[in-house]
Amino acid sequence: MTIVATAAPRRSSGQLGHRIRIVTGVAITLLFLFPVFWMVLTSFKHQVDIFTSPPKFFFTPTISTYVEYFRRADIERRLINTVIVAAGSGLLSIVVGTMAGYALARIRLRGAATFGVLILLSRGVPPIALAVPMFLVARQLGLTDKHITLILAYSTFLIPYVMWLMRSFFLSLPRELEESAMIDGCSRYGAFFKIILPISLPGLISTLIFSMILAWEELLFALVLTNRVASTIPVAIAGIAGDTINGANWGALTAVGTITVVPVVIFALLVQKWLIQGLADGATKG
Amino acid sequence: MTRWSFMMPSIVLLLVTLAYPIFYTIDISFSTFDLSTFGADEWVGWANYEDVLNDYRFWDALKVTLVYLVFALPLQVALGFAIAFLINAEWGGRGMVRALFIIPMVVAPVVAGGIWRMILDPLWGLMNYALQGIGIGPLDWFGDANLAMAAVIIIDTWRWTPFIVLIATAALLALPKDVFEAAKIDGANWWSTLWSIALPLLIPIITATFVIRWLGAVKMFDIVLAATYGGPGKATNVLNLFIYEEAFRSLRFAESSAMAVIVLVLTMVLTGIFLYGSRKLEERF
Repeated sequence: MTIVATAAPRRSSGQLGHRIRIVTGVAITLLFLFPVFWMVLTSFKHQVDIFTSPPKFFFTPTISTYVEYFRRADIERRLINTVIVAAGSGLLSIVVGTMAGYALARIRLRGAATFGVLILLSRGVPPIALAVPMFLVARQLGLTDKHITLILAYSTFLIPYVMWLMRSFFLSLPRELEESAMIDGCSRYGAFFKIILPISLPGLISTLIFSMILAWEELLFALVLTNRVASTIPVAIAGIAGDTINGANWGALTAVGTITVVPVVIFALLVQKWLIQGLADGATKG
Repeated sequence: MTRWSFMMPSIVLLLVTLAYPIFYTIDISFSTFDLSTFGADEWVGWANYEDVLNDYRFWDALKVTLVYLVFALPLQVALGFAIAFLINAEWGGRGMVRALFIIPMVVAPVVAGGIWRMILDPLWGLMNYALQGIGIGPLDWFGDANLAMAAVIIIDTWRWTPFIVLIATAALLALPKDVFEAAKIDGANWWSTLWSIALPLLIPIITATFVIRWLGAVKMFDIVLAATYGGPGKATNVLNLFIYEEAFRSLRFAESSAMAVIVLVLTMVLTGIFLYGSRKLEERF
């Protein structure tokens, strides 16, 4: 088993070891995917097929849980809310955060380094420390249960995230790009919008998608800052999972869970190459 | 002025949504809280902090949080790098396997808590059924204090290890090949290659992953809320859930603000120590 494959063929260190490594790797991957598979499977079961011992892998599928639960728990409105909030906070953060990330990477500003450190530290701020005052302020201003409140709340963790990822992305670009543009008479804005942004598109899109996923699955702020009108999907799931009075409604849990997870999985797999790259950069160049 | 204009929008937004709330929390934590006006009232100095530090429930929640962190973080980092090594084996399906590892990562934590609550159910759950097949159990996952903590750590590990796997795979691929070739020519065995070449090269990324994961783990809330709601008793009641309950169920805003400030300071200090420690560690290798 080689740690890093060198140019020399690995036959000498043993084909068997290589095979074992592949098989274990695949087995572990399947193990990690299983809970998601089980969720989707359970969501298509009749109630009688859910509570069985031994658990059933083969059964007559049904979409009755989806049909029934969609109406009862306001899932449709919650879905729309979650889309609005995820898209809103994602877009706001990508615009604002990308500009700041560019400034941190390229423009010499007095105090910018301090600001950068503060931003990094802000990633350690526990959301619960923000939830109490946000709740109180939103209440005073009559902003509880509004989309904009959640969008602003989510920007507290999304802007620093975008800023940091995009900063490292811009640092990896050659300086000559905008320097030559600025010599040719472009302003700083012109260079940024016409030269830098277009070539940063892959990084921008993956950062945007990841920001939207983070907003999509957020629970604490959504619990605290919304009641009925602007409430999101994760709040509904927390409600179903924690409903000990009516007992475990696994059908509803898995159906709503599937609705929440499947679109995100499709999105993530579509841009998986950029996502992995972005993750790796975020960790190494941070 | 154009120079600052790139920075201004985020500075203004973060001042309003991040800095102001933090100062407001600090303000409340030193005051009595008037439930009729829903605002900070009278300045009381350290009284709220004294209340909190004399509250055994706060210490219990702190202990639970520490136990979770001490077990979950090293487990996830070690497992993440081990799995990354396994799935980095060169073969046709490598890209697909790596892509599939994204899936648990984008399952909302609250959903993760929910589905695992179902899988670990003592009566109908799949886990106990599988364990029975090898002669273990049945285990009362959510009725026993230690098992409930184990369940929380398992769920958290399932949700977060893939994230480390993806970072680690990229790090392993970026290792310089010529160094390993040289080691091979010199006749270094597998173990010494790992210990004296791969590990030192990987130390910066391992510590970086640890710090990133730490910053995520101190926010632990969703999984516990969905899977155990802090139970049985208070066995998995992490600080964030405890503060949430104190503020929004018991409406003890002053005390919960004091706790939030304590958590904030603790997190900042420990993050500083970890960053400093990781730099020292990098220098040593």
